[in-house]
Amino acid sequence: MDRVNFRTQIISNHLTTTQNNNNNHNLTTLPCINYQPPELTEPRPYFDTLLLREIIDGPMFKNNDYLFSLMKQSTLFCPRNRGGKVFIGPDYNKSMEEQREMTMKRIEYLRDQGVFDGWFDKEGYEGDLWRFSVAESVSVFDHSLGIKLGVHFFLWGGAIRFMGTKRHHDKWYKPTETYEVKGCFAMTELGHGSNVRGIETITRYDASTQEFVILTPCESAQKYWIGGAANHATHTIVFSQLEINGVNQGVHAFVAQIRDENGNICPNVRIADCGHKIGLNGVDNGRIWFDNLRIPRENLLNSVADVSPDGQYLTAIKDPDQRFAAFLAPLTSGRVTIAASAMNTTKIGLATAIRYSLSRRAFSMVPNEPEVLLLDYPSHQRRLLPLLAKTYALCFASNHLKMIYVKRTPESTKTVHVVSSALKAVLTWHCMRTLQECREACGGQGIKTENHVGHLKSEYDVQLTFEGDNNVLMQQISKALLAEFLAAKKRNKPIKGLGLEHLNKPAPIIPSQLTSSTLRTTQFQTDIFCLRERDLLHRFVTEVSQYQAQGEKSKEHIFSVTYQIAEDLGRAFSDRLILQTYLDVEATVPAGPLKDILGLMRAMYTTIVMEEDASFLRYGYLSTDNAAVVRKEVPKLCSELRPHALALVSSLGIPDAFLAPIAFNWVEANAYSSI
Amino acid sequence: MAPTNQVLVNESSNVRTIVLNRPKQLNALSHEMVSRLLELFLAYEEDPNVKLIIMKGEGRAFCAGGDVAAVVNDIKNGNWKLGADFFSKEFRLNYLMATYTKPQVSLLRGIVMGGGAGASIHGRFRVATDNSVFAMPETALGLFPDVGASYYLSRTPGFFGEYVGLTGARLDGAEMLACGLATHFVPLEKLSLLEDALCKANTGDPNIINNIINEYSSTPKLKETSQYFRLKTIERCFSRRTVEEIISALEKEADKNMDDWIAWTIESLKKASPTSLKISLRSFREGRLQGVGQCLIREYRMVCTVMQGKFSRDFFEGCRALLLDKDKNPKWEPSKLEFVSDYMVDRYFTALDDNDWEDLKLPARSNLPSYAISKL
Repeated sequence: MDRVNFRTQIISNHLTTTQNNNNNHNLTTLPCINYQPPELTEPRPYFDTLLLREIIDGPMFKNNDYLFSLMKQSTLFCPRNRGGKVFIGPDYNKSMEEQREMTMKRIEYLRDQGVFDGWFDKEGYEGDLWRFSVAESVSVFDHSLGIKLGVHFFLWGGAIRFMGTKRHHDKWYKPTETYEVKGCFAMTELGHGSNVRGIETITRYDASTQEFVILTPCESAQKYWIGGAANHATHTIVFSQLEINGVNQGVHAFVAQIRDENGNICPNVRIADCGHKIGLNGVDNGRIWFDNLRIPRENLLNSVADVSPDGQYLTAIKDPDQRFAAFLAPLTSGRVTIAASAMNTTKIGLATAIRYSLSRRAFSMVPNEPEVLLLDYPSHQRRLLPLLAKTYALCFASNHLKMIYVKRTPESTKTVHVVSSALKAVLTWHCMRTLQECREACGGQGIKTENHVGHLKSEYDVQLTFEGDNNVLMQQISKALLAEFLAAKKRNKPIKGLGLEHLNKPAPIIPSQLTSSTLRTTQFQTDIFCLRERDLLHRFVTEVSQYQAQGEKSKEHIFSVTYQIAEDLGRAFSDRLILQTYLDVEATVPAGPLKDILGLMRAMYTTIVMEEDASFLRYGYLSTDNAAVVRKEVPKLCSELRPHALALVSSLGIPDAFLAPIAFNWVEANAYSSI
Repeated sequence: MAPTNQVLVNESSNVRTIVLNRPKQLNALSHEMVSRLLELFLAYEEDPNVKLIIMKGEGRAFCAGGDVAAVVNDIKNGNWKLGADFFSKEFRLNYLMATYTKPQVSLLRGIVMGGGAGASIHGRFRVATDNSVFAMPETALGLFPDVGASYYLSRTPGFFGEYVGLTGARLDGAEMLACGLATHFVPLEKLSLLEDALCKANTGDPNIINNIINEYSSTPKLKETSQYFRLKTIERCFSRRTVEEIISALEKEADKNMDDWIAWTIESLKKASPTSLKISLRSFREGRLQGVGQCLIREYRMVCTVMQGKFSRDFFEGCRALLLDKDKNPKWEPSKLEFVSDYMVDRYFTALDDNDWEDLKLPARSNLPSYAISKL
């Protein structure tokens, strides 16, 4: 009842104030709530926000800005004026077909401005970084645009580049760059997704005509979710079992034309639409059936294996497992972009929700006092600020992944595979969780499509499962760690690589009585993350060997029943890796305000991981007493980060036009006069 | 400071009409004028008796720009920091206008160039007319479009801003309206009637002011040869990443379809200072994603680097060739685009290496409109 009286009081205050205003000629009408830009009310940045932005955006940030600027200037990107600012973003109220056509038009616009010029010519790691920068920047506008572009250039183009040889490069590079050929990538089938080796499409060789014959033998073998297939693609990469003289040589990739220059579907190909989706409707996902489609022998992408004109299977890599791994390795680039895009999307969500929380008020602490800013509530800080610190940590990790990918060598293939699996999973999960929190933190405004945060959830949900289901990826990490551990043991040598060297040292000792200052030391943070990884790996090894001792032969079966510890281990590995990359970044920053902030955010990141992941208590890395110390530290860290919130979201580097009306003057944006 | 006769003020109840009064110099903004304007705008914001500000120029021009010749003279006679002081005041004035709480109506008779654009375009209402001529001609002078041009030019449709800012192209009133640099077009003969009506209305309500201006407005027709019809070509060429690519895209267009306009466009880019072109393009590109405050802070770094003259002395050479000796034959150094390295361009965008120098301090504002904010 008190509450009700209190509200009534506030409302009547509003009314009386308004009446007073009418009698006062010096005052023009005062709206009840004025928008106060946080730039005016928040403290000036304590650190150089531009410098931090350069660190998290990496060496290509100018290229990103160039692309942002290109998109902002074209009417194809739907500029809208809201509250005195221009925002761009796709019109999601358009039909699926219209959204698809708009995506294609935007790509053509970018092509016409020369954005893709020299796509395949740019060499070295800088070329790779540039290509990533293009894909990531357009995704900031719209996931569909990023995916549509990614399918064409990274999947189709990447397959031609890495799985093909000179004859394919000469033939396809140029028309791909100009979109004369629109490529897609037919790997997934109705019956098989993550398990690529189980696909059922069959290709046989006909030596009499020197052609391959591609067949979809059953309904579960239909190609599914093929981006670009439903409307636009003229060509596709087909993944298929290759059968030579009745012997299955495993999965291989072929180039096949599926539409002619007029857009008509080719004979012996059937295509259907995947239909409306929960998001990503600007991408025309389709299904494909091959009815003994004939393609020339030269269309086999023959980087690791070839078929001679007379039908002999030729390969330098005898072991089919190794052959398959070598074949698919370059396609890791997909996970690199997914991880990076997940981070950009997370940035949009956080920048929007935190800016809103710095201008939106709710409830007064004391009657007649102004209402309280959302972000001044400790609980609201707890919801958003740890996610902000974590986002910085994960952005550094994403940059690290990008760098090890672009500087990859044959020796680093395994590291790239494990790190990309781990980070793809952890970063996309973080993205979805953050978007959900941001959408709730914006209240009802969060569900308006024009405010992005809520809608992005459905646009980006797919990232949790495409290019490898996250849960499967996490288990793969543990398998890889186990293999490394056992191999080192067998060779009787110290373990090397994947950052596991700490296992060679004695186990770190955790202080029995933690304090706030201990929690903030690099030493402690590193120790407890290493201890957790080390202990879980030992437990995993023990559990697997116990099953083996009991006579269980199938490794796959053992892995399927040890998933609990495997998942904990996967997380432990990822968290330790992320901390390590964070420390590496920190080491490059000279002492000063920025380094202080980075230290504070690292403390937030590590503390929140300890607070949220049950494994620390479950396996006793933290005593219940210490867990209580950790929990108490969280609100303290939140209040220390609070004054930097605005500066930290500024450094995320998403241009205003790509954020939402609620991030700025949401009162004016919603004014009756703006309708 | 003693009041100056270079800026006159007519008071009519709650309306203040500010007249730029240096007609022989086409109202080019002197240090004195900029100081006075800054003083007036600061005072009027606090003064409850002022509701509306009207800006106009005495004589044939609204304002032909900053008095650059005087600035160069100052620099030659001593310290470039005299020049820095001028630009600091001018840019603070621009910021004040851009974030002003009271409406400013600028009546744009005749020439509106450089600093004159800065003193009007940031305001709420910009009224173009039959004889308006807008241009940002700085690249021909070894400078770059300043006074917040990287904010307002980069917000014109497509890549029109890059075109106008890099070539120094002149826009007439109809073109100004079409690209949004002007908010209204009022025929020349009605301009003083509008002024009277605004004074008579004696209001600060932007909606009422808008309605009044609308009553006198007409919709001008773009000339058949207007460059505004070239938006598509402009987009294809001026969206390119670098100045070199812009020129080569234009040359490709010229191969396909040569005409006077393309020839003129290429010619003006080739005549402009290579350093100016490169720093200008980057400034527009950065400005597109920034708020007006950040734009001015960046431009202040740039203009101080220009005056410091460490990396290029094109500004002095440009002023010599165009304003003093008038031989119209500046010798730019570096002389070609390819000699202007990224490193050199970067220098214009970083804080100056000088102990007495500091970044532009924007006046504190009580009410920041959302378009003035950008995070980076």
